[in-house]
Amino acid sequence: MNTNKMIYFKGCVAREKLKNIADATENILKEAGINYQIIEDEPCCGSVLLRTGFVDDALEQMQKTAQLLNGDTILVSCAGCYRTLKKDYKELLDVDLDVIHTSQLFSELIEEKKIIIKPSHQKITYHDPCHLGRHCGEYEASRKVLESLGQLMEMEHNRDKALCCGSGGGVKSAHPEISDSIALNRLKEVDKSGADILSTSCPFCKLNLAENGSVEVLDLSELVLRCIKHE
Amino acid sequence: MNKDELETMRNSFQMLDERRREILNDSRIKKLQERVKKIRTESMENMEKLMETATKSFAENDIQLIYAQDASTALKQIYELIKKEKIVAKSKSNTVGEIGLSDFLKEKNVELVETDLGDRIVQLNPHDKRPAHPIGPALHLKVEKIAKIISESLGVSVEPDPKTIMELVKANVLQELESCNIGITGANSVAAEDGSLIMVHNEGNISLLSLMDTHIIVIGIDKLVSTIEDAISVVKLETAYATGTRIPSYINIISGPSKTADIEKKILKNMYGARKVVVILLDNGRKKAIRECLWCIGCGSCIVSCPVYNVVGHEFGYRGYLGGRGVAMSQFLEDEKTSYDSGLFMCTLCGLCTIECPVGISTNDIMEKIRCKSQEAGFYPRAHGKIRKNIKTKGKPF
Repeated sequence: MNTNKMIYFKGCVAREKLKNIADATENILKEAGINYQIIEDEPCCGSVLLRTGFVDDALEQMQKTAQLLNGDTILVSCAGCYRTLKKDYKELLDVDLDVIHTSQLFSELIEEKKIIIKPSHQKITYHDPCHLGRHCGEYEASRKVLESLGQLMEMEHNRDKALCCGSGGGVKSAHPEISDSIALNRLKEVDKSGADILSTSCPFCKLNLAENGSVEVLDLSELVLRCIKHE
Repeated sequence: MNKDELETMRNSFQMLDERRREILNDSRIKKLQERVKKIRTESMENMEKLMETATKSFAENDIQLIYAQDASTALKQIYELIKKEKIVAKSKSNTVGEIGLSDFLKEKNVELVETDLGDRIVQLNPHDKRPAHPIGPALHLKVEKIAKIISESLGVSVEPDPKTIMELVKANVLQELESCNIGITGANSVAAEDGSLIMVHNEGNISLLSLMDTHIIVIGIDKLVSTIEDAISVVKLETAYATGTRIPSYINIISGPSKTADIEKKILKNMYGARKVVVILLDNGRKKAIRECLWCIGCGSCIVSCPVYNVVGHEFGYRGYLGGRGVAMSQFLEDEKTSYDSGLFMCTLCGLCTIECPVGISTNDIMEKIRCKSQEAGFYPRAHGKIRKNIKTKGKPF
């Protein structure tokens, strides 16, 4: 990871709808003393277009975005951006981007003591985003972070067997009622886990789960920021 | 499906999942799974070759083979075989469901008797004749509802007790079978080199059908593998994943009509079993399908875990081909509009079905390709069109 030249790519949901995630992430970066840049007029990663079948539009968009990002380390908050920039750019454009997800960065920062955490007894469960977990095989970074923050309480279906939040694949826009029903089934597992906080590492997941339940849903960045110990 | 049916289906699925847990973690099943994955992958790579081999083997075995390029050809050929009959019987078969035989025979005034208990219940249900699961068609119906369906359709009063219902349906089906000369079944796997068709069942109904005067077996070209040994591996794995049991009560292997050579070694046909065995080998769009889509062994494991199927039921699927993989198949079997209408855009692309699939079909990747074709043909949700426009003009989806 080349932290001297890092771009924080917020992604559309953290940029437009859940700004708290982007703000929390920037605060953590500052706390850790990491130099980073934000792209003015940040472009779309192309994920949404790819998943909904608009491949030609996606490729056009991805080519433009690749030109802006290539060569730097790209930090992303969104599991969808992560999968797309890391896997699809390689497969479809043969562009090998250096992409890191916030969960991976936070895990490193905690391990290297660049941020100091004040542990607590809070009971937290973790929802694996499909694009980060099953699609990219990253299950442990978020868990490592959460274990240092409090008590991790797993849901019945976790890691590669985790249930979807319901908002992927354009279902939330095309069939919102299906999205809601799927979220409710996932939230039943949150209830059963005995946790007080539901944490996830994808803004799309947070949006759909928070809309459909009463449990506190926090992106990993928001939870980390809350637990940073100021010397 | 209504709310109650979805709830009943979810409970049935949960029971099935618990029943399967131990066996699916067994090292022997894991080994079998690796073997079957290889068998299915290689078979579909060599599908055309296997078709040639099967054509020769069936001829050697005195099995009549009819190749049907599409559903209407298959229906026409089946009708030629049964047009003199007033009633025919069948077992559970997605391929027979795919060509729409039931509706076709209704138009032709030929009665069709479903012999599988779940299928018979669904057939007698006046409201919705679609199944919930490939092996458990009636898993979405509560016993009280089934008792009501049976009472109304058979004109009797039956208590909501599973055993009573079973006995009643059994007596009813056996009575109908007395008038049948033709049995129609599918096959779970087909051995091209041996010219053999392998059928799995627990009820014994397929055995009854195979002993009728004519046995018609309808199969897709994707059912082919090389040998009986391969086919047995496939159906053993299918059974474990579909029902959580190690082996079904019956595995029938049909390799020709009934015959004997007990008198002076002279071949005499028409002993106890079928006088005539006819195979309808159906393409119906399979040759142009994404090959990975054809690896499927029909266990239904994908829908048991699917978050979408669990909340919408068989609205997400095409005929007996349920869930995402079924939706993908519908574009090859029919067209872009059909896949759109079958719930192409209901899939969240979460990828859990791939983890649960014994042969690892990556349905979410296939779905993306199918969606591309569908939108090119003009079939996509309006909301997605708007998002596409927003990204183009505003650089963001909202």
